[in-house]
Amino acid sequence: MLALGTLAHVKQMSRSPFEVTIALVVPIVQATLAVYLFRAGHEQHRLLQAAVGAGLMGVWSSVLFGSGGAIQNQRWQGTLEMIMLAPRRPVLVILPITVATGLTGTYALLATLAWGRILYGIRLDFVHPFAFVVAAVVCIVALGMFGLLLASTFVLMRNANALTNALEYPIWLVSGMLVPITVLPAWTGPLAAMLPTTWGARALREATSGGPVWPSVAVCLGISVLCLIFGSLSLTYVERRARAAATLALA
Amino acid sequence: MKTLRLMTMGGVLAYRALFNWTRPAIFVGTLLVGPLFQLLFFAYLGRQLQVADDRFYIVGNAVLTATLACVFGGTLAVGNERRYGTLGHVLLSPRSRTAVFLGRALPYAGNGLLIAVVTLTVGATLLGLRFPARAISGLLLAMAVGSLACAFFGLTLGALGLRFRDVWVVSNVAVALLLLLTGVNVPSGALPGWMVRIGEFLPITHAAAAARDLAAGRGLAAAAPALGREALVGLGYAVLAAVLLKIFETESRRTASLETL
Repeated sequence: MLALGTLAHVKQMSRSPFEVTIALVVPIVQATLAVYLFRAGHEQHRLLQAAVGAGLMGVWSSVLFGSGGAIQNQRWQGTLEMIMLAPRRPVLVILPITVATGLTGTYALLATLAWGRILYGIRLDFVHPFAFVVAAVVCIVALGMFGLLLASTFVLMRNANALTNALEYPIWLVSGMLVPITVLPAWTGPLAAMLPTTWGARALREATSGGPVWPSVAVCLGISVLCLIFGSLSLTYVERRARAAATLALA
Repeated sequence: MKTLRLMTMGGVLAYRALFNWTRPAIFVGTLLVGPLFQLLFFAYLGRQLQVADDRFYIVGNAVLTATLACVFGGTLAVGNERRYGTLGHVLLSPRSRTAVFLGRALPYAGNGLLIAVVTLTVGATLLGLRFPARAISGLLLAMAVGSLACAFFGLTLGALGLRFRDVWVVSNVAVALLLLLTGVNVPSGALPGWMVRIGEFLPITHAAAAARDLAAGRGLAAAAPALGREALVGLGYAVLAAVLLKIFETESRRTASLETL
């Protein structure tokens, strides 16, 4: 059921010219920006890292706007009530949407690497190539779970897109996708440690440039499981609350 | 006088009716918090890469933050008329449609200026950037000119909404490209020549350069050429928007494709 739901949502997203074009173009622009910035900073040896970071930024954007937009889209289409009425746990209905956004975001990661290779000659010399693939899969799944946790709060929020629009750059920044966490104020450290995006980015960076990948992968996976648990509980709670208050539509 | 009233009052009414982000929560989240974090992101990245100093990133990104309201506002000013089924009514108006639509850019420019000022103030405070008090009026002018140029740029993209259905794609891609091509985050010297050339014909590019000169204390005389170029770019987009609106209106009437969704 999860697989079919994910496939259905991926197909639905692929039918939207808006979604397709944004998914095609924006990651490439971000990758180009990252490459020129790193070149300007004389960090040519870190261009692969920059491309991976930019790709991960694209994955997060896809999950964030996909998860937030999914709930809002369901609401606008008038189908939110129906999917919440389905005789299944709400998490089993919403999870395919967030996982689908993570899968479509995979394109961003692949596109930035391909773009970097073709146009800028960035050599795809991963120190741990197998670990990179595993870390990428774990990271995308983790982002999907994180998206589920966010989506559970978006169900109750009328202005969910206010939060989605505001969360793009903060997560990019605090997770260290392109900006190392070490240059940020110290108080952001504990916050960053709680995010699956931080550990996913770290795992990918370590697989790219060298370092202990598996501990980061394990932490990322662990936090994603916590996101799944809390997201599931949260969805059940907000569904009951929305039913009691008759506020699900919030039209 | 009547035309001026049409532009100003009509623009304000259209802003209130068509701009999707006027609710406080969305306004703050989308137009204030998001751009502030964008500034912080690039400022910290710039610090880490040592590409340029804080002033380069803070001032430049502050000017750039006007693009959200201006580009999307211009698109919404036309696109939402179509979406709500009122486009035909607007185009049937016996008043100058050029004045009607050009006037719609004004509130968005004001909105963009507000965002730029807030972002610059908060960003500079958080990151410890100081600039001369005498530069404030010049900075306001630079941000105002940049916002207005960007608003007319947004209106030009919005004019495409009379012809193409998925104009939101264009506006989203445009905002992403402005991030790259305006030289706000990557200094012009580090970009290929053809990108720099394209950037010279985009809004914000010259306004950001002028703002940096002013923030560095070089005075209005040093910033005036860049401000002039930004004003010219804005004027060009205003003319282009007017021409495109006229052409697409005529075309839409001829092919009866006005309300095609």
